[in-house]
Amino acid sequence: MLAYTINRILYLIPVLFILTVVVFSFVHFLPGDVIDVLGGQEGVFDPAVRQALQQEYGLDKPLYVQYLVWLNRVLHGNFGTSLVTRRPIAIEFFQRIPATVYLALVSTAISLMIAVPLGTMAAVKRHTVVDYAAQVLSLVGISIPEFWFALLCVLFFALYLGWLPSSEYYSPLDHFGLSLKHMILPAAALGIRQAAITTRLTRSTMLDEVQKEYVDTARSLGLPERRVIYRYTLRNAMIPTITISGLQLAQLLGGTVVVETIFAWPGVGRTLFEAIISRDFPVIQAGVLILGIAVVVMNLLVDLLYRVLNPRVRLA
Amino acid sequence: MAKTVLLPDELVDVEVHVPTLTLYVQRFWDGLHNAARELYKSKTALIGALMLLVLLLLCLLTPYIARYDPIKQNYRELLQTPSAKHYFGTDRYGRDIWSRILWGGRRLLLISVLAVLVGLLVGIPLGTLSGYYGRWIDAFTMRVVDAWLAFPGILVYLLLATLVREWKLAGVWNDLALIFALGANQIPRLARLVRGTVLAEKEKEYVEACRAIGESSLYIPLREILPNCVSPVIVQATVSLGSTLLVIAALSFLGLGSPPPTPDWGSDLNLSRDHMESRPLIAIFPGLAISYAVLAFNLFGDGLRDILDPRMTDR
Repeated sequence: MLAYTINRILYLIPVLFILTVVVFSFVHFLPGDVIDVLGGQEGVFDPAVRQALQQEYGLDKPLYVQYLVWLNRVLHGNFGTSLVTRRPIAIEFFQRIPATVYLALVSTAISLMIAVPLGTMAAVKRHTVVDYAAQVLSLVGISIPEFWFALLCVLFFALYLGWLPSSEYYSPLDHFGLSLKHMILPAAALGIRQAAITTRLTRSTMLDEVQKEYVDTARSLGLPERRVIYRYTLRNAMIPTITISGLQLAQLLGGTVVVETIFAWPGVGRTLFEAIISRDFPVIQAGVLILGIAVVVMNLLVDLLYRVLNPRVRLA
Repeated sequence: MAKTVLLPDELVDVEVHVPTLTLYVQRFWDGLHNAARELYKSKTALIGALMLLVLLLLCLLTPYIARYDPIKQNYRELLQTPSAKHYFGTDRYGRDIWSRILWGGRRLLLISVLAVLVGLLVGIPLGTLSGYYGRWIDAFTMRVVDAWLAFPGILVYLLLATLVREWKLAGVWNDLALIFALGANQIPRLARLVRGTVLAEKEKEYVEACRAIGESSLYIPLREILPNCVSPVIVQATVSLGSTLLVIAALSFLGLGSPPPTPDWGSDLNLSRDHMESRPLIAIFPGLAISYAVLAFNLFGDGLRDILDPRMTDR
């Protein structure tokens, strides 16, 4: 197990390296450079001034030196300054992370709360109405684009019925009740779609588990059916479900852009998106880098978790 | 004593079947009939196939059924409700929504198909050769593929899209960037899938038989083993079509797709946000279109999986 962990961490390094190279070189493909951007509308045409500025920003050095300088800064936590707000990027970014994490966690919780019971029931009561309904619903759920579903939710619950607000964010640490009310719609929009995917997975793994011999053994021992299912089968079937939910969580952290935009949620995804729209390149660089690292690391953690939970894979 | 040698005259009566064009056409038709009969085994596949057929027909007939130019703005008929003249109504610039959906659908489906095709064209040979030749080629390729799988592909597209915009390239480059980035996303998945199946097939007797006959080592994996590994790939490709479509729609919803006048389901949804209160239907039609297409692909893929898998265990 330890060897495998080290192996996987070693895998990370080339991936992260390529990520940083790609992110860094992207800025250098853009027409013009930092100096033009800083110069604003008038631009900087005087060659002497240009050269002085280049030396000051270290732009006259060869590319790999610039890359190393940038990498050094990043590793020390200095992600540069935003062109739009003129404030250090690191602070702004890390301020927004809690909002995204909150959204991601609540949606995953909602999805598990819906999917696990539904999937289990569908597997246990095969070929009944519950099973067919669950299958149809989950199939439709994965086909509907999440932004459209979010729009429909807003249309129905916020505009038509007027029950729930459709924007603004309140931290759960400050006003719990208000934050919950504003949280429901975005989290439900994300969570229901996730639930569709997880339901299918839960149903299929439960179907596989229920056919195994130990279930027959347990039943012939006279154990009540409920105990057979809940204590034994469900636990084994949960392993892949948990890992997939973990992967989905990783994906969410990396890109709730759509839902955040629709609900004006001050999260990381939306920050990146707005930077792309307003061509705030330092923020784009920092955002792509941070999100990329987060996704890769979370994938790794989920993979390790799966090995911890499933001894068969671990000892293989 | 029996004759052991045939004289040239006696050979004339032998009939030789030369493969002609009609033979291949015949085989093709038989194959189609077989496929259609197989489809009946799964209701989901049937429904999915029918939905896809409708989609295909609409795409092909677009120039005839879309009655208006999807790009031309018409300020006299802004934001109309569905009527006999405009089946789905008009949007905020007076463009007919029905036409926009048809033309946008063509473009979206083309891009998705091309992206998955890219994935197939690169991923399948990669996986096959890696699985067949084994040892260090396999180990090395699998490491690369694993790293590739871990890499968040959408970010690459975001960077490419920003570049396209900065270099002020034409709209088609944006589509190419989409195809490239999304295709590259599919490659590791498909390669791993194919490699797994090839590894299993490699041990079967017919492969040894081929080697004994003396077939070249490039011929065996590509012409003999590969056709047997095709089923999970087909399923995966169909489902990937659906997910690629969703990703493209999401990207254009955010405004990161092709620039404005191009009809696009995602960006139409984005435009409709401003008028949701007065004209909710505008927000519904493009979304419905996306859901329909993705549902068709998913149903068909699911049904295919049901058809292909149990059959494989019967063999």
